[in-house]
Amino acid sequence: MPTATQGAEYSPTPIDGYVTPTSSLQASTENIIKSHIPPGGTSQAELQKRSHFEFLLRNLRQGFPERYTSQDASQPWLIYWTLHGFSILGAGLDDQTKKRTIETLLALQHPDGGFAGGPGQAAHLLPTYAAVCAFAIVGRPGPGGGWESIDRKKMYDFFMSLKQPDGSFLVSHHGEVDVRGIYCLLAVATLLNILTPELLAGVPDFLATCQTYEGGFGNASFPGWAFAADDPESEKDASASFDPTAPRPPLGEAHGGYTFCATASWIILQPYLNLYYARTGAFPSPSLPRQPQINTRGLLRWCTQMQGLPIELGGFRGRTNKLVDGCYSWWVGGCVVLVETLLGIGAQHEPPTEENVKDDDSHKVWDDVDDSLFNRQALQEYILCAGQHPAGGLRDKPPKPADAYHTLYCAAGLSAAQHRVIPSEARRKAVISAWNAEQARAHDSTGFATASDAEREKLDLLRRDTFAHVLSWTEEEGTALYVGGAANRVNATHPVFNLTTTHSDGMLAYFYGQTPPSRMPSRPKA
Amino acid sequence: MSDLLADDPEWADVTPLRQYENVNPIAPIFYSEEYKDATDYFRAVVKAGEMSPRVLKLTERIIRMNPAHYTAWQHRYKTLIALKADLEEELRLMDDIAKEFMKTYQVWHHRRLLLTAINSVDVAALELIFLRDVLELDTKNYHTWSYRQWILTHFNNEARLWAGERPYAEQLIDADVRNNSAWHHRFFVVFSSGVRLGDEEREVVLRRELSYVKEKISLAPNNASAWNYLRGVLEFTNTPFETLASWVLPYTASQPPAPGEDVVDLDNPLPSDNAELPCVAALEFMADVYEKQGGDATAKAVELWKTLANEKDVIRKKYWEYRIRNALQKS
Repeated sequence: MPTATQGAEYSPTPIDGYVTPTSSLQASTENIIKSHIPPGGTSQAELQKRSHFEFLLRNLRQGFPERYTSQDASQPWLIYWTLHGFSILGAGLDDQTKKRTIETLLALQHPDGGFAGGPGQAAHLLPTYAAVCAFAIVGRPGPGGGWESIDRKKMYDFFMSLKQPDGSFLVSHHGEVDVRGIYCLLAVATLLNILTPELLAGVPDFLATCQTYEGGFGNASFPGWAFAADDPESEKDASASFDPTAPRPPLGEAHGGYTFCATASWIILQPYLNLYYARTGAFPSPSLPRQPQINTRGLLRWCTQMQGLPIELGGFRGRTNKLVDGCYSWWVGGCVVLVETLLGIGAQHEPPTEENVKDDDSHKVWDDVDDSLFNRQALQEYILCAGQHPAGGLRDKPPKPADAYHTLYCAAGLSAAQHRVIPSEARRKAVISAWNAEQARAHDSTGFATASDAEREKLDLLRRDTFAHVLSWTEEEGTALYVGGAANRVNATHPVFNLTTTHSDGMLAYFYGQTPPSRMPSRPKA
Repeated sequence: MSDLLADDPEWADVTPLRQYENVNPIAPIFYSEEYKDATDYFRAVVKAGEMSPRVLKLTERIIRMNPAHYTAWQHRYKTLIALKADLEEELRLMDDIAKEFMKTYQVWHHRRLLLTAINSVDVAALELIFLRDVLELDTKNYHTWSYRQWILTHFNNEARLWAGERPYAEQLIDADVRNNSAWHHRFFVVFSSGVRLGDEEREVVLRRELSYVKEKISLAPNNASAWNYLRGVLEFTNTPFETLASWVLPYTASQPPAPGEDVVDLDNPLPSDNAELPCVAALEFMADVYEKQGGDATAKAVELWKTLANEKDVIRKKYWEYRIRNALQKS
């Protein structure tokens, strides 16, 4: 296999003879990364699975050294990063480890709902996401399985207690608003079947205001001109004086982490947008609000612009003119497929049937196996050559040490570059045809009451469509790509949740009370 | 003498709360003795709902060891409000913590809560000065910029707050023309946050901004921050890219123009002598112009995208090929 950068010179970023602090730092970083290009080329690069296993196992069994005190309020994250790291690298967990993990996670559930960063700490949206994802990995239905012990009613009440007039959410009481929190809340509410129109009101509108002129998303937007008060501590009901013409400027520049969170949120919200907003186009319904828009083409441009040059081994940066960092392999590299989906690019090709094989055009489509719009090969080279620490674990970039966070997000980025996981229309239809609305409604624990039968049916559709949508993500056959050979293969991960589909499917089926059709067995490439 | 709360008579009335009872936690952190001690007492304080001066000391102690302990911040804030503490004094106390832990969310959010509660433009103006000091340490610190932008919008005072912001962004861009945070700030001030005092004539503002960014591009043409700003300005004001085509063309040439070849036109600065041409962003820009023109011009756009895909920007080959497919489908 030729390397992505073969033939291209490893020329440095052009600086036009005009040195600034940014270009100096960039140049020295390029020199370091360049020195990690193996003499024999990148195609022989090996994923040091064993030493990464050992790194993860050490953290899990022996614990984290004192410098991780900075993560004391992120304990579920340490657990999730480690466990999902194992899932991606292809290791299962023994029952004893699962049991201990479930007990640890339950000690983090707040008496008033949600999960905290540690026992006795306040509930917070970020650790709530990490804890629920960890439950997806280690939990199961039935006593002692953990899932039944998640208090979804209180979780829902906790979420609603954080809601702001502009549609956003605080991350915790007296905490800040930002799109990380929105993503964490939406992912959890989807997995646990606690989505309601009351919870989602205004969320798309808020997200759309966080997109900056560069195309990526910033961390939040300013609500105060449109909603009278931007003070979360304020008791007054600001929604009464909404001014739709007032600017809601984004705060902070376009950034990889926020861009992933906003884009994945936007994907989760698609069924809600379709049901509760007027569709744009010929026949807008006057009774429904207009759909807020994001600039999807600008978003695609921004994401692809973040991929570094061959001299940076094709790693991703998180902001314009900043340095590449292994974690953006996931936050930005993993975001590209979400944007492609929003643009309708490369929807799952129908497998060839006798009928459409006769048709020359469809055959051509089938031959074009890789629709990804970023350089999957180069990203793998970055992770394999620069992202691995020789002593185990993965990292931002050389010569930095490995840590739990970068180990997961480099591994997830490698997975996103190896596997193309996209929505399958066939699977979506199959899930919908097996849908049991009554069961799903019976599993609702929010206590949210609809005003009418029509509203109730709409909520049923929201549940069904959201469930079918997230379950429809499937690896496209024949499109896997392994730099360094199949020995470097890692497992695929769900582009929206960052869980394996085995884990997200299992949790979704349980909380919606569904028995979705099993995933198709792998079919050989035509 | 030990520094632990466990040995401090002031805390003798409190029974510390261990983190995990009857659970053998997975993936535990090995805390220092001091940290464990402080957080054991903190858990007891939170549980009892205590809000007292000694709680301020305790939370400060925890924050200095772990500034990401959001519950310590939350409880500290509630205690400050309950005690009707001097919040400006609290701001000054937090100054060095902000500088030391500038990458921590909570450090900045705490200040935002304080400023909201103090509710004074004078304090907000002082805060902008303090933030200049902080940004000097790291001119791209995300939280600091986001917080600065919040101060401007929340207090929204043209003369006292906004007036200095465009010059400030300019000063940072002069120091490093590739500082994307400074470019974003300029866009925030001039466009996304509405209309500044003195900026009511939008045509004048547009000309001023185009002139500014063109000059910065001419200094160092391969600067994505400046090109993104240019594109952002054009899109925000619905100005067709085509109106800048003749200015962009020299940046798509393979050589800077020979000296004296053209009359100096300050509104349309040419690439600097050291420019490394052609500039990828200029090729992209011209392809966008041709794509928009459509018809016969589409072929010119396709040629440029092919050049980008196969020679000038091969890492983004897939993206440029997508642009070709997309344009051909439309035409």
